[in-house]
Order: sequence, then C-alpha cells, then structure tokens
Amino acid sequence: MTGYAIGIDVGGTFTDVVVCAPDGTITVAKAATTPADQSEGVLEGLRLAAAQLGLALPVLLAATTRMVHGTTVATNALLEGKGARVGMLTTLGHRDIIEMREGLKPDRYDLRVPPQMPMVPRALRLPVRERMRADGSVEAPLDEASLHEALEALAAADVRSVAICFLHAWRNPAHERSAAEAARRRLPDAYVTASSDVLPEIKEYERFCTTVANAMVGPVVQFYLARLAEVLSEAGLARPPLIILSHGGVATVEEAGRLAAGTALSGPAGGVAAAAALSRLGAGTELVAFDMGGTSTDIALLRGGAAALSDGRGVGGVRIALPSLDIVSLGAGGGSIADIGPSGLLRVGPASAGAVPGPACYGRGGSLATVTDADLVLGYLDPTLGGALALDPAAARAALARLGAELGMGVMEAAAGVHRLVNARMADGVRVATVRRGVDPRGFALLAFGGAAGLHVGAVAAELGVRRVLVPVQASVLSAWGMLNTDLTVHLARSFAEAGGLDPAALARAYAAMEQEGRARLAGFEGPTTTARSADLRYGEQVFEVSVPLDGLDLDAADARAQIEARFHARHEALFTYALPDQDVVLSNARLAVTGHLPPLPNAAPGAPSGSARPGSRRVWLDGWRDVPVWDLAALAPGQALTGPALIQSATTSVLLRLTDHARNDARGWLEINIGGIEKTPR
Amino acid sequence: MTLPDVAPGMTDPITIAVLQSRLNAIAEEMGEAMLRTSYSQILNSSRDFSIAIVDAGCRLVAQADHIPVHVGAMPWAARAVAEAFPDPAPGDVFLLNDPYHGGSHLPDLTALMPVFAAGGALQFWSVVRAHQSDIGGSTHGGYNPGATDIWQEGLRVPPIRLTENGIVRDDLVGMLAANTRNARDFRGDLAAMVGAARLGTRHLATVLEEVGADVLRASVDAMLDAAERHARAIVATWRDGAYDGVARLDDDGHGALDIAIRARVTVAGSDVTVDLTGSDPQVAGFVNSSHANMQSAVAMAFAYLLDPDCARNDGAFRPLRVLARIGTVVWAREGAPVTLCTSHCSNEIVEAVIAALSGACPDRAMGGWGRRFRLALTGQDARTGRRFIWHLFHARPGGGASSAGAGWPAAGEWHSVGGIKFASVEVTEARFPLVLEHHEFRAGSGGAGRHCGGDGAELVLRVEAEGVCVANTAGDGVRHGARGIGGGADGLPHRYTLDVPGAAPQVLRTKQPGIVVPPGSRFRIASGGGGGWGEP
Repeated sequence: MTGYAIGIDVGGTFTDVVVCAPDGTITVAKAATTPADQSEGVLEGLRLAAAQLGLALPVLLAATTRMVHGTTVATNALLEGKGARVGMLTTLGHRDIIEMREGLKPDRYDLRVPPQMPMVPRALRLPVRERMRADGSVEAPLDEASLHEALEALAAADVRSVAICFLHAWRNPAHERSAAEAARRRLPDAYVTASSDVLPEIKEYERFCTTVANAMVGPVVQFYLARLAEVLSEAGLARPPLIILSHGGVATVEEAGRLAAGTALSGPAGGVAAAAALSRLGAGTELVAFDMGGTSTDIALLRGGAAALSDGRGVGGVRIALPSLDIVSLGAGGGSIADIGPSGLLRVGPASAGAVPGPACYGRGGSLATVTDADLVLGYLDPTLGGALALDPAAARAALARLGAELGMGVMEAAAGVHRLVNARMADGVRVATVRRGVDPRGFALLAFGGAAGLHVGAVAAELGVRRVLVPVQASVLSAWGMLNTDLTVHLARSFAEAGGLDPAALARAYAAMEQEGRARLAGFEGPTTTARSADLRYGEQVFEVSVPLDGLDLDAADARAQIEARFHARHEALFTYALPDQDVVLSNARLAVTGHLPPLPNAAPGAPSGSARPGSRRVWLDGWRDVPVWDLAALAPGQALTGPALIQSATTSVLLRLTDHARNDARGWLEINIGGIEKTPR
Repeated sequence: MTLPDVAPGMTDPITIAVLQSRLNAIAEEMGEAMLRTSYSQILNSSRDFSIAIVDAGCRLVAQADHIPVHVGAMPWAARAVAEAFPDPAPGDVFLLNDPYHGGSHLPDLTALMPVFAAGGALQFWSVVRAHQSDIGGSTHGGYNPGATDIWQEGLRVPPIRLTENGIVRDDLVGMLAANTRNARDFRGDLAAMVGAARLGTRHLATVLEEVGADVLRASVDAMLDAAERHARAIVATWRDGAYDGVARLDDDGHGALDIAIRARVTVAGSDVTVDLTGSDPQVAGFVNSSHANMQSAVAMAFAYLLDPDCARNDGAFRPLRVLARIGTVVWAREGAPVTLCTSHCSNEIVEAVIAALSGACPDRAMGGWGRRFRLALTGQDARTGRRFIWHLFHARPGGGASSAGAGWPAAGEWHSVGGIKFASVEVTEARFPLVLEHHEFRAGSGGAGRHCGGDGAELVLRVEAEGVCVANTAGDGVRHGARGIGGGADGLPHRYTLDVPGAAPQVLRTKQPGIVVPPGSRFRIASGGGGGWGEP
C-alpha cells in the first residue's frame, strides 16, 4: 500500500519537488516557477524528479499514494491586487464596514498618505434590507425586492464573485443562506461565499474582510486547483493531490476551493510543518523556527512539538481572520540594506536590495551595503557559493568602506557592526514575539533554515540566551519536505453569546456538534483521527481572549467549571503577570481541531559521507582576522564533533561556529550546535 | 555627517543602534500587554492608553505609538512624581492624574514605576497612562460639561505611592475604586496598568544588567542627540519668519463663544518658537488646558510636521520652545475645570500651530482633522440587570487632506489620528442595550480642495434600555468644522440630534449634561469631515 510520497512547494523563483520513496530515500528536484500557470512548473519538477529516479513520469505518478501541494496562487492574487471583481451584499445601513477599518489608520505619525483603496468599491457594496439582532432573532425579515435589486445591479456590473456579509449572521445564518441561494440562481457562474460559512464568529469587521478575501481569491484558486488536478490525473496520478493550508494542515482540492482564503498564508506553512516533523524525529519539543530569507526573517514557535495558531493576519493589506500558523515576519534578511538614517544612526532594514539590484556583491548594479555584503567581507560567506554563483568581494568591500567612512570606522568594523546590528534586531524580534506569547525564549532551541540563517543564528541565540541551535540537513528544500509530514486537519469554532456565562454543558454540546461536523468534512478518510479542544476565554469586560487548551478535562465533572477557570487564571498569569480570580470568566469561542493522521513516512539512514573529510581553511573576521577550518557538511561523519571557530558549508547553506560554539553532526543528519559563552553584553 | 559625541570607550554607533531597537521593543511589548489585559472598552477596544520610557532626568526616551496627545505629557508626569518622591525604591508604583500636579486631565490615570541599576541609582521610569471609563465627579463617564471647578470633575490624585514595600496597597485601591462608578472596571484596568509597567521594569532591569548603567546612559544620550539632529535638519528646510495661526472653539458651555487659540510661530534656522500668549483668557467651562496638556499638544503638532521615521523622544523636541501665559485658555490657573482639554482645546492648539506653519512648510501642513463630540450614556441593561456606561466611539469624524492626497474617511481627530478603534457593532449590540441601525460614511462632509478632506460618518443609534437612560455630551465642533489649509475648504461641522418617541427632534449641544433618554429613543449622529488641502 505504501507508495511514493511527493511534496511540491511553489516558491517565487523555484518549484521544489521532494519525493520520498517507499524505502525512505529522498530525491529532490527544482524547476523554474511558471507564474502564468503554476501547474507547468509543477509538472516540469515532477518530470525532473522522475528522471532522477529512472522512472517515466506516469509510472512514478501511478505509484504515488500521497501528493501534498503548497500554492501561492491566492497569496499572489492578493499581493498583486489581481483578485476577482467582487460584489458584496450587506445589511442595509452598514455598507461601509470594510472601508471604515474600525476607525484605524496605520502609522500614527504619517499624516501625508492617501487612504487605502477598499477591497470592494462602494458602488459594488450593495445594501439588502434585512436585520438580525444580537441574540439571533429577526429584527427585519429578508426583503426579497431589495435582494433582487442588488443582485440585478451585481449582474449588470459583471462581478465574478459575490460576498454575502450580514450582521449577526454567525448567530443566525438564515438570511445569508437565502441570499446565497438567490445569488447562485441569478449568477450561476459566480463564486458565491457567505460570512457565516467562511468564519462563523462574532466581530463583523474580521468576518466581512475574510469573506471578501475569500471571494477575491476563490475563482482563481478553484480554477487553478481544478486544472492542476486534471493535468496530474492525465499524467497518471491516481489519487488527487492534497493542498496545504495556512494553518499547516492539508485539505482536499474541493475543500481548499471552498475556503480559498485559507490557502493565502500557506507559503511558510511547509517550513513550520517541517519544524514540527523534525520535532517528532527528536529535535526537541520547544523550538523557534528561524527562517532567514532575503528580505525578511520568519519566526514561528513550537511548544510541545506543535506550532501555535493565530487568529489570522493580513496579506497585501487584506485582513484574513482564519486560523493560521502564528508566524511573525521581521523586516530583516540577507538583502537588508545597511545605511545611516537621517538621524545619523546606523540602521539595517527594513529597506531591502531585493533580487534586483541585489546586494553589491551580486554585481547586478547594487551599490548599497547589505547584510550579505557584510557576511562576505567578514569571510563568512564563500565567494563561489559552492560554485553556484560567483560573488564580487571587491564590490562588497567598497560598499562597506563607504558605510564605514560615514561612521568613522574601518571597513571591517563597519561589516562587523552591520552583522551585530542585524543579529540584535532579529533577537529583539524573537524576544517580542516569544514574550508576547507568554514564553521565555531561553528554554527554546533555534531551528535554522533559509539560506542566510546559518551565519547569524549563533549570534542571535547568544543574544537571546538560547543555548541550542539546530541546522537540519533538509534546510534548502525544507518547505516541500515539511509538506510530506502533514495531516488532514479541519479547524472549527463556535462563538458563545456574550451574556451566556461559562456553562460546561453547553461547551460539551458544542464540542459534540463540532466533532460531528469535523468528521463529516474528513469523509472518506479511513485512518486514525484525533481531536484537540480549546476555548477562548477572558475576564468580564476584556476584549481579547486567551486560548486555553481543554484536552483531558472532563466537562461532565461536577467541578468542570472551576477546572476551566483555574486553567484560564494560570494561563493569564503566565502571559500578563497577573490573574483576577475573583472576576467572572467569560467564554467567547470554543474551538476544535479534528486531525486525520496520515501514516508517518519512512526515514532513511543518512547516506555515507560523500566529500573530503579534511577541512579547507579561510580567513574570517571574529574581532580580528583568524584562519578557521571550513568543513564540507556532506563529508562529515555521523557523530563527528567540531569546535568553533569554524565554518561548515554545503551547496545551499553555510554555518558559522563562533569562538565558543561547539557542534556535532547528528546521526539523523542535522547539525546540533551548543552555544557557548552566552554573552552578557552586546559588545 | 557628524557622529554621536560620546565618551571614548563608553559606547559606539553600533551599540547605540542595538540598544535603541531594544528599548523600542520593550515599549511595544508593554503596549501589547496593556491592550490584551485591560478591562474597560475604552482601553481594550478603543486603545485610549499610552506607554513611555523616560530616564532619570525625566526625558522621554522611547514610546509606543498609541495616542499622540498622551506622549508629550508623560515626562511632566514623571517630573511631578520625582519631585514629590525624592526616594523611590524598587517595586514602588506611583499613580497620578491631577492636572495641577503633572497630569493632563482627571480621566487619564498614569502609573509609573522606577527602574534602578543593580544596587544603584534610579535610571528610568516605566510609564503607563490609561483613560478611565469613570473617575467620579458629578457626572458619569469622566466628562462634566456643567463643571465650573475641578472638584466637580472627579477625583484628584496628586502623585501617590500605591505600594508599601513593593506590594500594592489594597486600602488605597479600595479608596480610589470607591470614588468611581464602576469599581470592577477600575480595578481590572488598574491591574492591567500595573502589570504592563512591571513588565517594562523587568525588561529594563535586564538591559541594565547586560550592558551596565554607564553604557546605557551614554547610549540614551546619543539616541536623543541623533533625534535632535534629524528634527533640526527638517526644520532647517522651512522658510524663516514669523507666522500667525488662529483656531476657534465653539464655546465653553457657559456663555463664552468662539474662544480663540492664537499661535505666533517663529522659525529661525533650525529653531521653532511657538508663542501662545495671545490666546483668550481662561473660561468658566472645561475646555481650558492644563499645563502638561498644552505642552503635549504643541509637541504633537510639531511631530506631525516632521517625518514619520523621526524618533519621537526628548531630542526631537529640543528645537521647540513654547511660550504661554498662565490664566489663558491654554494654561489654566489651579482649580479651573479642564477635563475636555485632551480633545479641546488640544485640537485647536494643534490646528493653530499647523495653520501658522503652513506658511513655512506648505507641503508638510495638512488639512484639519475632525473635532471630538463625545456622548456617554448610562442606564440599566434589562438582560443583565447591571448598570452600564457606554461611550460613543463610532461615527468617527474625517481626517484632513494633505499634499499627498485626500483625507482618510472616519479616521478621527487630531489627538488620535486613526489610533482609536471603535468597537464591533455586533459586540456593542450584544453587550449593551443598543441597536446601531445605520452606520455609514457621511457623503460630502469632507472639505473641498485640490485634495478633499475625508468624510465623517452617520450613526442612527436606538436605545433599548430598561427605563430611562441619561446621556451627557462633551465636545466641540458644531459651529467650526475642521480647517482647510492652503485654500482648501473647511469640513462640515458635526450635527447630533435626539429623537424621543412622541416629541420633536432636539438638536444636541456639545456640552450638555443630564439628557433624558426614554426607551426607544434614537440618536441621529452626523460627524464632521476633515479639512481640504489646496485650492479646489
């Protein structure tokens, strides 16, 4: 029954394909991404992988029992403003909710900036006469004439999608459902989506924005996924692909198309899934995934081996309040520009040189110093990048010399300063992200991936007081590899009435109903399933809830309510330094995740060392020049121990061991670094 | 480019940048804690609070961008505490709100905690300021338009030490809470404030331990000097000269009409002097400003005209000199009522200063942002049997246009500029006996111009409480709309009416206590638009 498993990650430049054979061996292929129709790049990557395996593509696909795909179709549509033309049906008297932005404007001290364009222009936000009350009772029945009039206007405006957004629909969806039926009848070709389907939770701004986002990306995602499934099926794939979602679980093509906005944040989800998989393989349970790219560094926390979810983020200025992996993006990466700001202080980022012109050392016309240039000048980066691309050290040096002259320091001091400042900024980012989530980062290990991470992660760890760093061997295709290590997951939520108090019996009923719905959504899945319960709780008049896991708590117990409250008080105290045990605890949402567990992939033993076991040598700057050994990652023997200072290189990544660091090449094929001499001062 | 002038060996440009990032991250984290733990809707939904880190010399070092009108006032609060308590100890929490002792107005309660170097001297104050939903006085909700002295406005808290040996004194908290109408909210909010301040002290102590007090102090000096250089470089591009700007309040609610704030602003090189001495004398009603609030309003206007990436610390405000006369509406003598001042006359001070400087830097000056017209409603909720107090934050007025484009619709007033969030309609209806029948933009309310001011909003609010509710208004801007700049037109002023079943609609005044609101009444609220920019 076990066949091949294939993970496919479509990135901005490359489409990565990772094939796991029945014996656990891994084959990797990279094809150019084809933005116009991503399925072409996917097919090309599959062909290359099949060729490496010595198989014809139809043979490989016929023997494939699981294919997981991450797509950026929705993300790109939002970022490039190329979503479908959406018409909105909304409660009469409330057509401006999405454009009012809850009264907020970003950047308090930037008053010379024009207002954002709304996702749907006012002329296409059409009022329908209807009204629910807060308790779900009907204040004004759905008026068929006004619905008809609005639909005629949308038909005349030739919209491709219809978003139905009525007040209090999370509490009583009857009007939205009738309107959706009418819209499907009148506009049979349109993508019709209702807020009570997309996000059945209180707070209309989040719900409406998410529904509109779903309407914007729905048609393009549905079209793409249908086409992909068809192309793959024609090429011989027996079982349709699964799609990875923003929350890190996977869904069928149909489900991903219904909740298309749920794929908008799936880009980094593969990497976080990989971190969770590495955790299961023994990397530890408390991890900070640290993915340093060209323009930004993405951070995610894993606690108890599981990644935390957030209640959504923005993509291209569009708020999507669906459960998403809690990933924090910091505006600092390898391409971040170092310069002197108007105040005369050194800054690194958020401006980035991007891919074009890129860092000065790329020789593509960039002349500003970047983090990558500093790494090159300091000797940390191999100028040949393992032979893939020749870098221009002279250009990097010239850029850093100019910066140093402005700072009144030499080129090496300037390069070391840029390296130190970007590390400090990333450490601050990790600190705010972790402490904000009630976590002390010192108990965590940093898991480094992304091309630039290995040269910075040691110093970031030291700054944070983190003693353990892991660099997995899969670093370069981690996202696609991670997709092979996911499960089918459905996230469900039920909001509770404000005045309802905390009633364990009602909670138990909600979980039972959600469990039934979740299992229905996984219909056809025959493997083992598990559920995870949590509740969003708060004190009386607070607005923000704290998510409290309720697994293992017997809701039928006589003291169930006291047990729930005790868990909440403890969590509140851990997060915010205090608890208020004499105050009311209010239940806002009950949440349930239903997971259908896919069988774990076999894990192959690492291959025999392939390169030279003797190190080369390079001069690097570590508070002064010194010659350090340069090891080939692929050539290290299992269990081999290394002592800093040293560099470890592969074709796709470089790792810097600082003076006090020690590393071991783990038998599982990853580098485990012990950070020595946790620095007391940033000097 | 000149470089920070610091003692050799003490610090360096890299360390300064590293520590600046760290201090900003601490302020940001304190703000996040406050947002997520505070109790009353005015804080957790509408975000009417601010965070600052000031040093032992009471200089503003770092802040999180929350409510601009709070920030320039925080150092004055720290000064008042430092003066009253020359002997702060680790773990102390100080509290104040008194506008005549470092505060701005009574609803803004400020908690301050000192931060010490290990076994050593005072280094910083961790400061949290938050607007309380009630602070006693003769009307609910903190704003008393009838007040003619400060004792009618609420509980005055001059600087007090809330703790004994680092433990919060329950008796003092009980005394304060007993003087507010919603003790439960008050206690929850105070716990959140102290929690956020404590978080700040903890992180600052860690930084002090890591780098040492000397390096941190020297780095802070360099950060402030850097911000000063940035601000001076901008001001140096403005045309030298003396410029006049006037803005007018509608009234004080006690007979004074069209009260003028007059700013004569002199630009000379990289220095700016704002002279408010020509403003009208103080008035009977609560539109007078306290001293700290006046200073903060001028600083706010100045910050708006700088660049958004300019650090907002003590250094950035060094080019600015403020002249004012006690006994005028911008700086009232002790005892006068001042509660409205964080809105009015703050907004008029900002507008007068920006109108004046539109002559010196026309492309930086922006059209007027809206004026505030508050409404606080109290009554009994039949569903819970509890008394409720609801503050109007919906129907935000429009933002001012600028050289870059149109004003933001429904984005608020000068004192908050898009920083105050209104609560979800669904949550409001679920928690209060209210129905928001209509809440949309008010078309055509923004002032015309080459770039139009942002539109205000319209709200129809039905009251479904058990029995009669009582409303108070507090605000301004039904006579004067937000000002147009450079030939742009003013925005439309506000217009609020109340429809009581069976009675003729009544137009609400901006300073009207004790409005009787029977069940089934509807407020019809139309907020003003922003000012236009440039000739249409």
